[in-house]
Amino acid sequence: MGRQRTGAAIALHAALIPLALVWIAPLWMMFTYSTLPESEFYRATVPLLPSTSFLDNWDVLDAQTKGNFIRALFNSAATSAIFTVLSLGLTSLAGYAFARFRFFGRNALFTLVIATLTIPAFVVIIPQFILIARDLKLSNTWVAVIVPPLFSSVGVFFMRQNFMTVPQDMLDAARVDGAGEFQIFRQIALPLVVPALAALAIILFLFSWNAFLWPLLVLSKPEIQTAPVALGALVGLNRVFWNAIMVAAVLMTLPMLALFLFLQRYFIAGITAGAVK
Amino acid sequence: MRRTATPYLFLAPYLAVFAAFWAWPIIQSFLFSFQNTRVNPWRYQPAVNWGRLIGDAAFLGALRNTFLILAVQVPVMLILATGLALALNSSMLRARGIFRFAFFAPVVVGEVAYSAVFRLIFNGRFGAMNGFLGWLGLPTPDWLQQPWTATAVVMIAITWRWTGYNAIIILAGLQNIPRDLYEVAAVDGVPRWRQHLSITLPLLRPVLLFALVLSIIGTMQLFAEPWLITMGGPGNATDTLGTYLYRQGFQSMNFGYASTVAYAMALIAAVFSATQIILFGRQR
Amino acid sequence: MRRQILRAAAILAGLGLGIAGADAAPKGEITVWSWNIAAEALEALVPDFNKQYPDVKVNVVNMGHSDVFAKALAGCAAGGTDLPDVVTIENDEAEVYWARFPDCFINLKTLGIDKYKDAFPAFKWTQLSAGDAIYSMPWDSGPAVMFYRRDIYEKAGVDPAKIETWDDFIEAGKKIGAATSGAVKMATIDTAGDDGWFRTLANQQGCSYFDTKGEHITINQPGCVNALETVKKMVDAGILAQGGWDPQIQNVKTGAVATAFFGGWYEGTIRSNAPELSGKWGVYPMPAATKGGVRAASWGGSSLAIPASTKNPEAAWAYVQYALATPEGQVSMLKSRGLVPSLLAALDDPYVKAPQPYWGNQPIWVDVLGTMKNINPYRGTQFYNEVRGTIVVKAISDYLNGTFKSAKEALDSAANQIASSTGLPIAQ
Repeated sequence: MGRQRTGAAIALHAALIPLALVWIAPLWMMFTYSTLPESEFYRATVPLLPSTSFLDNWDVLDAQTKGNFIRALFNSAATSAIFTVLSLGLTSLAGYAFARFRFFGRNALFTLVIATLTIPAFVVIIPQFILIARDLKLSNTWVAVIVPPLFSSVGVFFMRQNFMTVPQDMLDAARVDGAGEFQIFRQIALPLVVPALAALAIILFLFSWNAFLWPLLVLSKPEIQTAPVALGALVGLNRVFWNAIMVAAVLMTLPMLALFLFLQRYFIAGITAGAVK
Repeated sequence: MRRTATPYLFLAPYLAVFAAFWAWPIIQSFLFSFQNTRVNPWRYQPAVNWGRLIGDAAFLGALRNTFLILAVQVPVMLILATGLALALNSSMLRARGIFRFAFFAPVVVGEVAYSAVFRLIFNGRFGAMNGFLGWLGLPTPDWLQQPWTATAVVMIAITWRWTGYNAIIILAGLQNIPRDLYEVAAVDGVPRWRQHLSITLPLLRPVLLFALVLSIIGTMQLFAEPWLITMGGPGNATDTLGTYLYRQGFQSMNFGYASTVAYAMALIAAVFSATQIILFGRQR
Repeated sequence: MRRQILRAAAILAGLGLGIAGADAAPKGEITVWSWNIAAEALEALVPDFNKQYPDVKVNVVNMGHSDVFAKALAGCAAGGTDLPDVVTIENDEAEVYWARFPDCFINLKTLGIDKYKDAFPAFKWTQLSAGDAIYSMPWDSGPAVMFYRRDIYEKAGVDPAKIETWDDFIEAGKKIGAATSGAVKMATIDTAGDDGWFRTLANQQGCSYFDTKGEHITINQPGCVNALETVKKMVDAGILAQGGWDPQIQNVKTGAVATAFFGGWYEGTIRSNAPELSGKWGVYPMPAATKGGVRAASWGGSSLAIPASTKNPEAAWAYVQYALATPEGQVSMLKSRGLVPSLLAALDDPYVKAPQPYWGNQPIWVDVLGTMKNINPYRGTQFYNEVRGTIVVKAISDYLNGTFKSAKEALDSAANQIASSTGLPIAQ
């Protein structure tokens, strides 16, 4: 029995270690490429070890984006943060209503709202574009990047699940004490779902940080572009500066990897929302 | 108390955004799909878009490519993810944290960033993949310039990015399976692989179904990877419904036809998801 | 001398307007969208422009070619929001703007473009006008030529003067391949993202996607079929490397190819990307389909338009006029980035006739411009970009990969798709 188990353990590791190496390779090479002098890129080498040209490559990136890449990272961070806060607010209010109140049209409305998760966003993106860009003239503003994606109902669904676990007694007790409904939500229910809020916040932030298609449509000015759009533009240029692109990719990825390293639990809670239960 | 306007007040802010940026647009794009938007001003001419769709070889090509990814990449990825989840859940595994990081890290990498990396790695002239194959003495195809290899690169990239994501979901499902079921089976002398077959897989069914439906919807609207890695090329070999719609909508600015493609995309996604749910989701 | 006269004229004009009580010289900031070398050329022009118009700050944004097109079209579709003050528009791609968004750009007649009507070849205006309006000012032309490496040709014993037909070109390619044991290809073709070779060879034979009136689909006519057969013959002969814009530049720089086939404007790309190869390059006319046939065709060429949403049409118009309607503007861009002027007056400039050191002292502009008169007229139409991107490139790629049995079959299929996409009839 014991020997059999050891054999199985060795087999497991023998299969998993090479696979893990293959899996981490693209990320590792993103990093090593970003440190390679540009001439090295064209020699069909496998960049296993980092080199020393990261700062030179950064200079190329800075020149190619006319000094706007730091700005783009800042734009990404700021719009993602605002989006996250707004979406948390909207969806936890809505999720609470769906979880704790009985009202006319609740089920129909909830079904409709959840439908946004199963219908491709492409169906709404053209009217959204016309509304934002042509009718409201809001292209190249933060409002244009932040507000339309707020329709996403991931948070509504997730928060509803979590608010359903709040014991009814606690809410009733507060009601007896004469607390208003909003007060109950704020002071009793919300503190009980803080871990869920944290998980949702991380997923929303990640989603917004990496968003490409919608920002691409509404942001054309370099100084207001988010990092993915700025990076996408570099890839689309006819003269491709791979060293600059790899630096940009690293700068875009590193903050999220760091977050992931420290807050893995919340990432996983956010991703599995809806899968279990 | 409960019959007041309170719930509606809680819902109002979200519903306002929902109405303006989802409910109304979805009606509007349905109306667009019947309009000829290549004339000025636009005119209602249903046949111009819906009639064109049926015989549009480029659309059918994009549909075929999307189906190909659905038929090949999605199953491979889900099988890999299930195996990975089982491995990561195994009590025999050492250094679990490192393995989890290796497989889950791609989940946080933006599609633009990793598309750029894959485009570089699979560059036919100087990419790392051909550097490696050349070192091994193997043939070095011009990956992004040939239809089949370009499709393969797109599939490999998506698999890299999303396998960990699905493994996370499946792992959560595994951890929800009561341990005593296995203990009972072990006492009865059922071998481990039989346990997986007769306990794990059936109990995982809802989670696998969830992952499958997510993958179907994701694949139907696949855009950034083929757009940034291959631009849909060579020719239209890696054009997907997403890139074709983007081309029609935002390069040719043919909003009407793009809306038609979008509705076709949503319809197909709905049919596929529903079929999966009916086939695999029925109660035991 | 000429500059002094111009300046005097400007001052006089300013005085005249000053007397009339109007605010004379344009001032403020304008933004210009362009791509690659075109953007670099426009930027290089700014200091000289500022000598005449010191109060106009010009801000050139260099975006990729397809980005400029996509963003400008999106801006028009959005009712003219977020457009710059000047947009670079490729002539072949131009008509979609005027047909679909007639209010998006200023009708330049209102700014007085009529006075330049005879300053450019008449055909240049076709794609830039709609009805009675003119929306864009012609810039450069793209007479297609062969840029070749003198040293590589010589080593392989290939005489460019003897390459008269495409068959000769293939033979020369094989010779160069043999002499370098396969290390050097004849040229680079982009079969994945563009159809430049096909389009240009078709134009050489007077064939295009559409007829010159833009009313019929002509892509399956004999000229186009022959052009595609020729392209296939070259690809099958193994003399061509494949790659998009960037790999092409790498090939040019590293000597992986002996020739580059493009519009004359590629001169600046070679010269600015590979300064170390100075003296090693030369130019010869594109080969003919049959001996003694036409050795000229058009590949590219652009124009500048002013969006109606601009807040500063005077400054934008001043810049467009300076860049494109003065010989000094056009010649300066020829010098800096090899953009071939279509302004007739610029062709008299001494620089055009001068031997070019980079090109082994060959007076290349005489040779390039000499082909202009033999170029067949053609028309992009409002469907050009859409048809090229979604139909033609794919049909060609499929044909080269062996999906179709013949070029005729591939182009018949393309013609049918174009018909279903555009609603236009196929020419008989």
